[in-house]
Amino acid sequence: MILKNKVAIVSGGTRGIGRGICLMLAQEGADVAFTYLKSVDEAASLKKEIEKSGVKALALQVDVRDFDKTKEAVENVKTTLGGLDIIVNNAGITRDKALMMMSKEDWQDVIDTNLTGTFNLSRNAIVAFLKQKSGNIVNITSVSGVIGLARQTNYASSKAGIIGFTKSLAREVSPYGIRVNAVAPGFIETDMVSDLKPEYKGQLIKNIPLERFGKVEDVTGVVKFLLSEASSFITGQVMIIDGGLSIR
Amino acid sequence: MENVENEIRGLIAEIIEKEPSEITPEAKFFEELGVDSMMALEILTAVEKKYKIVIPEEKLTQLTTLSDTVRVAKEYLEKKAV
Repeated sequence: MILKNKVAIVSGGTRGIGRGICLMLAQEGADVAFTYLKSVDEAASLKKEIEKSGVKALALQVDVRDFDKTKEAVENVKTTLGGLDIIVNNAGITRDKALMMMSKEDWQDVIDTNLTGTFNLSRNAIVAFLKQKSGNIVNITSVSGVIGLARQTNYASSKAGIIGFTKSLAREVSPYGIRVNAVAPGFIETDMVSDLKPEYKGQLIKNIPLERFGKVEDVTGVVKFLLSEASSFITGQVMIIDGGLSIR
Repeated sequence: MENVENEIRGLIAEIIEKEPSEITPEAKFFEELGVDSMMALEILTAVEKKYKIVIPEEKLTQLTTLSDTVRVAKEYLEKKAV
């Protein structure tokens, strides 16, 4: 176990990659707090599953778009779990549409959750990290933010924004022993991918050199690496986990 | 309590690497003394450690001069005493 006695918070923990990350953290010995917005039942079952690893779990129904509520959540984690060492900014939504069909709300919802949510959680924890002169932040961006994908101008912009955020913050806080990295998954088998049309899925796989969609474990393994001592000389980087989709 | 100003002046001088005499009560940290945001945080942390108090991070933006810092420190020292 590489994260014993650490405390982590994961935004958007109940489904897909976020859920996988919560379980990986628990297996590695960290106490895990996670936020969720609507999935009350999934949150309760995830909490139980985390606790099975013998660590503490804290489920927080918080909208990461809300700065003050996110601040309260961070304070709650520090009080209840006795500190904070790791942030995984994972909460993300899609509202895929061609730009000509995209409403102002489609744009704003995605930017507010994905990009502003990342700011809100990081901002509310960074002073504690600076004071303790340690901390590790992993942001979940997307291959869409690296190469751009059609019908995702909102999502790709939010994810490219997270990449800029990651690099800037990494430079800013590195003197304080804090590392900030990002992972950029491609198409991973989660609800986000199952929402895609079947004919579009077939077409997509043809463009992935490793000829498959990724598994949640393909992502959590890299997150684990970034949180481990093995990556202690890595900061401000974006690890692309896409089966080679972005090569060309 | 009278010593608080001198003690905090000493802490600040050490963090920002200036002579204590340069840190007058009203000298502006950012404009006149070359303090950056990270140094401001170090000042806050040093004051907390010295007096065993906790100053909320919202107060960070209020720490712009020695006299402001002393005022905030005294506020939380008094709260601690109650």
